[in-house]
Amino acid sequence: MKRVYDTLRSVAESILAAIIGLVVAGLILKAWGYSPISAYIALFEASFKDLYGFSGALANATPLILTALTFAVAARAGLFNIGAEGQMYLGALAAVAASLFRLPPVLHLLVALAFAGAAGALWALVPSGLRATRGVSEVISTIMFNWISRFLAFWLVANVLVDPYRAEKTITVLPPSRFPTLVRGTDLSYAIFLAVAVALLVYFLLRYTVTGYEMRAAGANPDAARYGGVRSAKVIVLVFLLGGITAGLAGATQSLGRPPSYAVFSGLPKISNLGFDGIGVAMIGRNHPLGIIFAAIFYGGLQSGARVMQLFAGIPLEMVRMVQGVIVLALALPELLRIFRGFRRRRVELGGER
Amino acid sequence: MPEPLLKAERIVKVYLDGTVALRGVDFEIRPGEIQGLLGENGAGKTTLTKMISGLLPPTSGRLLLGGVPVRLHSPKDALTCGIGMVHQHFALVANFTALENIALGTGRPADQALRASIEELMERTGLGVPLDTPVENLAVGERQRVEILKVLSRAVRVLILDEPTSVLTPVETEELFNFLRRLKEEEGVGIVFITHKLREVLEITDRVTVLRRGEVVGEVMTRETSAKELARMMVGAEFRARGRRPVELMTEIPVEERRVGAERAREPALVVEDLHVPADSGGEAVKGISFELYPGEILGIAGVEGNGQTELVEAICGLREGKGSVRLRGREILGLPPLELYRLGLAHIPEDRWKYGLILSFTVAENAILGRQRSPRFLGRLAMLKWGEVFAHVRELIERFSIQAPGREAPAKSLSGGNQQKLIVGRELSQEPEVVIAAQPTRGLDIGAAEYIRDILLEMRDAGKAILLVSADLDEVLELSDRVAFMYVGTFTAITTPAEVDRETAGLYMGGMKG
Repeated sequence: MKRVYDTLRSVAESILAAIIGLVVAGLILKAWGYSPISAYIALFEASFKDLYGFSGALANATPLILTALTFAVAARAGLFNIGAEGQMYLGALAAVAASLFRLPPVLHLLVALAFAGAAGALWALVPSGLRATRGVSEVISTIMFNWISRFLAFWLVANVLVDPYRAEKTITVLPPSRFPTLVRGTDLSYAIFLAVAVALLVYFLLRYTVTGYEMRAAGANPDAARYGGVRSAKVIVLVFLLGGITAGLAGATQSLGRPPSYAVFSGLPKISNLGFDGIGVAMIGRNHPLGIIFAAIFYGGLQSGARVMQLFAGIPLEMVRMVQGVIVLALALPELLRIFRGFRRRRVELGGER
Repeated sequence: MPEPLLKAERIVKVYLDGTVALRGVDFEIRPGEIQGLLGENGAGKTTLTKMISGLLPPTSGRLLLGGVPVRLHSPKDALTCGIGMVHQHFALVANFTALENIALGTGRPADQALRASIEELMERTGLGVPLDTPVENLAVGERQRVEILKVLSRAVRVLILDEPTSVLTPVETEELFNFLRRLKEEEGVGIVFITHKLREVLEITDRVTVLRRGEVVGEVMTRETSAKELARMMVGAEFRARGRRPVELMTEIPVEERRVGAERAREPALVVEDLHVPADSGGEAVKGISFELYPGEILGIAGVEGNGQTELVEAICGLREGKGSVRLRGREILGLPPLELYRLGLAHIPEDRWKYGLILSFTVAENAILGRQRSPRFLGRLAMLKWGEVFAHVRELIERFSIQAPGREAPAKSLSGGNQQKLIVGRELSQEPEVVIAAQPTRGLDIGAAEYIRDILLEMRDAGKAILLVSADLDEVLELSDRVAFMYVGTFTAITTPAEVDRETAGLYMGGMKG
């Protein structure tokens, strides 16, 4: 009963936040002389009017679900993993690397995915190890690792996986390791099922397994978790490995499942920021795996809607970005506040008087 | 007699949760006098001084400063009126120098003018501190001096020190005392000295006010009193009459026989030998404690809080590092992780319910298996928790320990304090442990819940468990324990039986007077 009530409450909160965000952004649009009504019609028609538009939204949502999970799993365990971005780059490239050899269909795709997950997990290992054994802040180390990963990725694209005929991109992923397209003529591939399945799996893990129990315990009250025999070092490493896998898979969905290129370009233009956007999606989805699925679809819809808004409602790109920002901020605010309240409580406990 | 600097009249303080901390207290601070404020935990010492230093408003009553009524809204107000307080926990920025910290505390720039005035102050009071060393590199005693200088630089007439010697070495304590005497005689400052240490009260103060349960139970001139009289006033002469209900027996064997049977075993369940535990603030919180705990007995540890009990318990229970030896039925357990200890049969009812005992945002069911989440009963295939079993377990706990909960899926924070504690106690005892470490098990509970917990402890004892009861409530310890130890600054001043100590002696032991 209580759980149902809590869920309804969160959903109601999110809807209210979305409305507030739309109104505030609308007022700003109005103040600069644009029509909020036609802007919003363009924004939502693009993604939620027909199958074609909705496919675009889902295609955008696919990697965001996975990178949001990276952040959310860590957040539930009381950690700030900002490293999805870098782990995702390497996942995308590891999936491409699987095309250096030939395998039968399906198996090839599975091997490519395994490569991607392993690459992401490996990249998460060092920050998690530093945190678990030396107490190094995971925020700082994951951010630094994002940069290392970025330049490593530049180098890999230009030197290791480079397409011998087109120096600006990697080799093209072989057809047997591609995700088949789901809706013809759109970017949407079967990768969306992978993303949703992983989200459900994470939900199951957190809610029904002892591992998830211990992760949540470590996040909710580290002292009590220690008293209850939870080894925080183990939880930290597990959470990061899991996050690394989902981030790696996020990268793979882009190199293996985003027509027409099936490759990674130098400068990483198509995959940059998917990891960071995932943080916003996780906030909107309240760090809950099921909430994240819906949040990612909404966020993906905003992204394609933004392009249409610019084209058809004649609103400059900067304004479009502003609208997007205000809405996302409004939606993320409840979760952000909760996180900061948690921080403050912890500080009071540390330094406060009885 | 000189006119009092500050007078508190009929001060009453009722906290928002209904706790009455002070019940009409009169208190005076006179110039050139060191006034001791003595009392057990919860007697109201800290509450009273917080009101004098502007941290808390009184519920009723008034403060007179030089005969004029004042209202203090903040510590800043109090400082402006010449009242300064040095707290037990220092408020210093670790990587700032002493001078910078003083500047921060006074709102003045850390310039030559400030340096000159502080140097002059140090000269005058004899309170020397290296001004240009970051305070993190200073000894604890020096840090305290920085705190005192911070307050004195505001030209205070009333200086309040809350348990100032609790962090000091004997030599540092002696230096502090010399300084306080000088401050009193040469500057005419009125000093309030809060403590529970009888020896120090007798050594340094001129006058003593003793608080007990929010009331002034005595005000005496130090030279006209004795440690015995102070101890008696501090802990009270009489037992709280409570009328314990007979313990419900779990077996047919009469209590007496089982007790004798347990006596005969004489094989200790837990042996602690020369246990040393470091304190958070540096130094040692537990300074070489040894004792044996037998099946079928309650060993009570009495003492004013902060004398190392917390550290002792946490070291035994695997939550803190210690040196020495702790053996559970012959097996060395010091340094083992908590879960391992749990498996070996050591249960721990933690002193801080909200820190260690419960995860408040978790449900009752989730809390009911904390620490047992990997036991075969609850752990199924694929690392899945058997929620059916978990719920059955919660039902048992709720029934056996009469826990009032809105539901097993309700968050633990929705339970009352008493029911939260019952949940913890039930969880810890449901595993049928051999040794139970109960730290402040009834603190903050209403009378009914507290009695219930005490009954359970007696029941466990009669069932042959070995129980270590750590409590700041002297009555509770004397009433429940078969043997009692008194803890004072990291050591036992005595181990004896409740029958052999009267309350006066108990007060002396707790104040560190004998041992």
